[in-house]
Amino acid sequence: MHVELKHVFKSFPQNGGRVEVLNDINLTVREGEFVCLLGPSGCGKSTIINLIAGLDRPDRGEVAVEGRPVHGPDPSRIVVFQDAALFPWLNVLGNVEFGLRMAGIPAITRRARALEYIKLVHLSKFSHAYPHQLSGGMKQRVAIARALVLQPSILLLDEPFAALDAQTRAVLQNELLEIWELARPTILFVTHNVREATGLADRVYVISSRPGRIRDVQAITVPRPRHAEDHALQAHQHAILGILGEEVEKVFREELGETVHFPEAQHSLPPDQATGMHI
Amino acid sequence: MLRRLVRTIFPRGYSFLTWQAFALFIVVWEVGAFCSPAWPSLFSEIAPVWSRDFRDPEFLQALAGSARRMAVGYSLVVVLGVGGGIMLGRLPLVDQLLGSLAVAMHGIPGAAWVPLAILWFGMTEQAVVFTVLLGAAGIVIVETDTGIRQVPPIIRHAARTMGARGPRYFWFVVVPAAVPKIVGGLRLAWAFGWRALMAGELLTSVSGLGQRLSQVAKAQQLDQLLALMLLIAAVGIVVDGLIFKRLEYEVQVRWGLVG
Repeated sequence: MHVELKHVFKSFPQNGGRVEVLNDINLTVREGEFVCLLGPSGCGKSTIINLIAGLDRPDRGEVAVEGRPVHGPDPSRIVVFQDAALFPWLNVLGNVEFGLRMAGIPAITRRARALEYIKLVHLSKFSHAYPHQLSGGMKQRVAIARALVLQPSILLLDEPFAALDAQTRAVLQNELLEIWELARPTILFVTHNVREATGLADRVYVISSRPGRIRDVQAITVPRPRHAEDHALQAHQHAILGILGEEVEKVFREELGETVHFPEAQHSLPPDQATGMHI
Repeated sequence: MLRRLVRTIFPRGYSFLTWQAFALFIVVWEVGAFCSPAWPSLFSEIAPVWSRDFRDPEFLQALAGSARRMAVGYSLVVVLGVGGGIMLGRLPLVDQLLGSLAVAMHGIPGAAWVPLAILWFGMTEQAVVFTVLLGAAGIVIVETDTGIRQVPPIIRHAARTMGARGPRYFWFVVVPAAVPKIVGGLRLAWAFGWRALMAGELLTSVSGLGQRLSQVAKAQQLDQLLALMLLIAAVGIVVDGLIFKRLEYEVQVRWGLVG
C-alpha cells in the first residue's frame, strides 16, 4: 500500500514547554517498496513509525495510507519493535496466533497458519518455548512471524535488529529480504546504521536530528544480493556519512556544549573504517 | 583483631543460607535459655509441648478450625480482591468512586476490623472470616488495580497494532500483563490474612490457634505460649516459602522481570 506523509509536524510536551520532534516531513513509500529511514538517535524516526501505525497523531499535516488519512491502528499496518515486545505470558505459538485470535479466526485455522509462519522464520522447534527462553535474535524472528501472519500490506520495522550482534543481524537482514521478495509488503525500516540502510533499501531517507527534517533521499538501484564492497553502494554510504557527520556533530554539540569538533578527515574515510558507520 | 576473627568466620560477600540463619536462631535461643530461668529451652521444654499438642485432640481441632477459617477467608480474598481490582481497573468511574476506599481499607490493620466483625456477626466463625477478608482484600484490590493501569506502553502498542481492542484487549492483554502485580498482592495478602486470623480468633474466642494464645497466656504457661507463637510463625513462613515465594518467582521469570 502507498504511504504518504505531507507537511507533518509533531512536538511533545517536555519540562513545561514543547519540544519539536518532526518539522515538515514529506515522505512517500510506494506499494511494495522497501524504504529505510536513517538518522541519529532522537531524530523522530520512531515517531514517524508511530504516526503511520496510528499509535499517535501529527500536530499538523497529513498521514495517509492509500490516500486515506490514518485514524488509529489497524492490522494491515504492523510494527516490529526494537525489543520485540512479545507477550511474555504466551509461548511462541500463542504470540504468533495473537493477531489471528483478535481477528476472531477459529482455533484450528489460526494454529495451522501460525505454525506455517513459525516455520518461515525457522523456529518450528521452539513453538512451545516462552519468550524468556529465547535469544534476542529468536525473539525478533517471533516478532516478524507474528507480524507476517497477519499478512500486513505495510510492515513498519522500528530498529528491529539494533540490539542484536552483527552475525545475527546479517542473517536476519537476509531473511527479511527473502520474505519481502516472497510477499512484497510495503516496508518502512527505521535504522541508525548506514550499512544496514544501504544494504536493504530501495530508497533511504536521511533525517536530521531534533527537530527531524528530511535532509536527503538516496535511491539505491544496486541489484540484490548486495555486497559491502560494491562501489556504487560505497558511494551512497559516503554521501550519507557526509550528511550525517554534520548531524552527529550537531547532536554532540547540543548534548555536550560547543567544545566538540569532528576532524574533517573522518568523513573521507572509507565507510568500513569510518566511525560514523554506526551513529 | 576482632575484625580479623569476624572476617575469618564470615568471609567478605558471605550471605547466610536459610539453614545457617535457622541454626544461628536456635543457638541464640538456647544461650538465652541457659542464662535466664524465665526463658524455656527449645529442646527440653518447648519441643515436648509440641509433641503433646499434636496428640491432643482439642489442639488438633483448634488447628483444623484455624486452617478452615483461613482457607475460606483467603479464598474470598482471592475472588473478591482480584475481581474487585479488575473491576476498578476496567471501569474508571468506579475506580474514582471506590479506588481510594480500597486504599483506605488497606490502611486499616486486620485486628482493627475485629470489633466491627463482633458487632455484626457476634463471636462467630463468620466474624473471623470477615476479619481475614477485610484485613487482606485491600492489598489485593490495590495491587490488581495498579497492575491493570501499568501495562507497559510497548505491550499496549504491540497489541493495538495487531487489532486488539475492547474486551478482547482487556482480557487477553491487560489482565495477563497485570499478573505479576496480582501475584505480589496475593503473597502479601497471605501474610496480612494470617495475622488478621490470629487477631480475630484471639478476640472472638472462636476455637483456634489465636484463641489458645489467650488461654495459655491467662494460665501463665510461658512454654506453651512460646511454643504456639513459634508454630504460628512457622506456618506463616512455610506457606509463604513453599507456595507464594515460588509462585512469585516463577511468574517473574516468565514475565521477564528477573534474569
